[in-house]
Amino acid sequence: MVVLVIAVGLLTLTEMSFAEGANPASATIPIPPSFEVLNPEGVIQIEPTVKLNPHPSTLEGKTIMLRWNGKHNGDHFLNRIGELLVKEVKGVKIIRSWEVAPETVEPITGSQERSMALMKKLAAYKPDLVIGSQAD
Amino acid sequence: MGLPTVTIATTDFVGLAEITAMSEGVPDAPIVVVPHPMGMIPEAEIQKKAENAFAGILKTATQWKPSAKLPEMKPAYPAGRFTFRGSVEELNSLFFTKGWSLGLPFVPPTPDRVNEMLKGTSLAPDYVIGKVPPRMGALTVELVAAHAVMAGCKPEYMPVLISALRAMLDPRANWRGATTTTGTTSLLVIVNGPIVREIGIASSQGAAGAQHHANASIGYALNLIAQVVGGAKTPSPKKSTLGTPANFVPWIFGENEDRLPEGWEPFHVKRGFNKTDSVVTVMAIYPPVENIDHWSVTPEEHLTWWGHLATPLVSIGGPCWISQMDQIHLVGIGPEHAQLVADAGWTVEHYGRAFWEKARLPFSAWPKGCPNVDLLIKKLGSLGPDTPVPITFSPDHIQTLIAGGAGKHSHYFAPFPSCFPVSVKVEK
Repeated sequence: MVVLVIAVGLLTLTEMSFAEGANPASATIPIPPSFEVLNPEGVIQIEPTVKLNPHPSTLEGKTIMLRWNGKHNGDHFLNRIGELLVKEVKGVKIIRSWEVAPETVEPITGSQERSMALMKKLAAYKPDLVIGSQAD
Repeated sequence: MGLPTVTIATTDFVGLAEITAMSEGVPDAPIVVVPHPMGMIPEAEIQKKAENAFAGILKTATQWKPSAKLPEMKPAYPAGRFTFRGSVEELNSLFFTKGWSLGLPFVPPTPDRVNEMLKGTSLAPDYVIGKVPPRMGALTVELVAAHAVMAGCKPEYMPVLISALRAMLDPRANWRGATTTTGTTSLLVIVNGPIVREIGIASSQGAAGAQHHANASIGYALNLIAQVVGGAKTPSPKKSTLGTPANFVPWIFGENEDRLPEGWEPFHVKRGFNKTDSVVTVMAIYPPVENIDHWSVTPEEHLTWWGHLATPLVSIGGPCWISQMDQIHLVGIGPEHAQLVADAGWTVEHYGRAFWEKARLPFSAWPKGCPNVDLLIKKLGSLGPDTPVPITFSPDHIQTLIAGGAGKHSHYFAPFPSCFPVSVKVEK
């Protein structure tokens, strides 16, 4: 039926014969060469619910949490980053999320509430910075 | 929570990371991009990627400052209107170019048509049903009507369409995850109760297929809203590796309540509603898997075949996302298969348990790199290579309904991770 409606182009739909299942909302309304339409996209409404804290100016002496979401190789990537941080940055302490809180290894939490609950567990270790691997 | 972060994303997924951050209220997140992929490459190669990214990570960790702002909040109602000069075909082209259509033809959403469509609901046009992720587009009833017009719906379809949207936007449905995954996901919409007959939802032969006006147009409208208002567009943030035609019109059908064996309850009644209620249930699924069984003459024989056929389905999610093993999985039992089972005196619960007991995969088949094996051991005990791993942790996770008409076919609908079926009573 949709194809039929388009095929008539500038004709009025009342000139067409409508089979069962036709859209009665369209059946009596002519389509002029110039017509008003709604923008179907709608507006974005995003609340500023999250405020990011300033980053530290140095990582020296800081505690860094490496957060793995469980996707393949993310732990290996972060492990290497951890090794490099220890080598390059004085006094840095590394915490691996999957070692201290394996229950937080979850790639698809399914809800903001669940994500926040997992993050609270990691925040309990009081890291100064979290480096997370998203993948794929 | 107050923690500074650095997120690692690959070139193919940074767009999704940025849009996700934006939709959570973070206009520019500190992200370091590495070449795709990270998964399924040797460890030496991933370590090299880490070494190459290290300087950028260090710089982002210590020097990143926010610079972007959230988009200005504008009123959701009324929707913008504009005068278009040209043919309907040209309007179709314009909408497609702007990402306001799926590429299929549509009926122009003129104010007159939208007003006519709004007669199908008692809700006010400015009522906001919710925000559709990942774009977080504010979905007013007026906007639903506009998409219903575009999809060719009748006004009387509006209550089912709105109920399906309410279900889809329920956090338990995890629509954000399902619509941005690399997986081949789509909506499954099941309609129960008197509304099925009232508006002509197909519920028997070929119910989920073509030539059913209500199913097709409601389904088309749902996907229009998901992709236009929700912004789930390929290639980003919609990341489906292959995609599916069900992203045009999803799986949508009525349960075949006329073919319920004696003593078996309709799907919505099992989910806590009254038989006289009209109910829409929505769940995000992977492509269904079909069981063909023309030969079994006992339930045991049928369930042995069906269960073993379903066994590879453990591979859909279990090894990677153990959360799926705690989710509801749906089996659409063909009416003839249901009758075979019922004639032998089986209850629907008996069917679900038998299916669950047969659908198992040896642990040796799981990929070695899959996470959460420790959690699996906690649930199932020690795992040897031959330990049969079930499709879900409990038979109660298997829910059933009667799907389709004559023929010897049943279907299995596996959920996307963290997606649960959500049922909403239809209100006119």
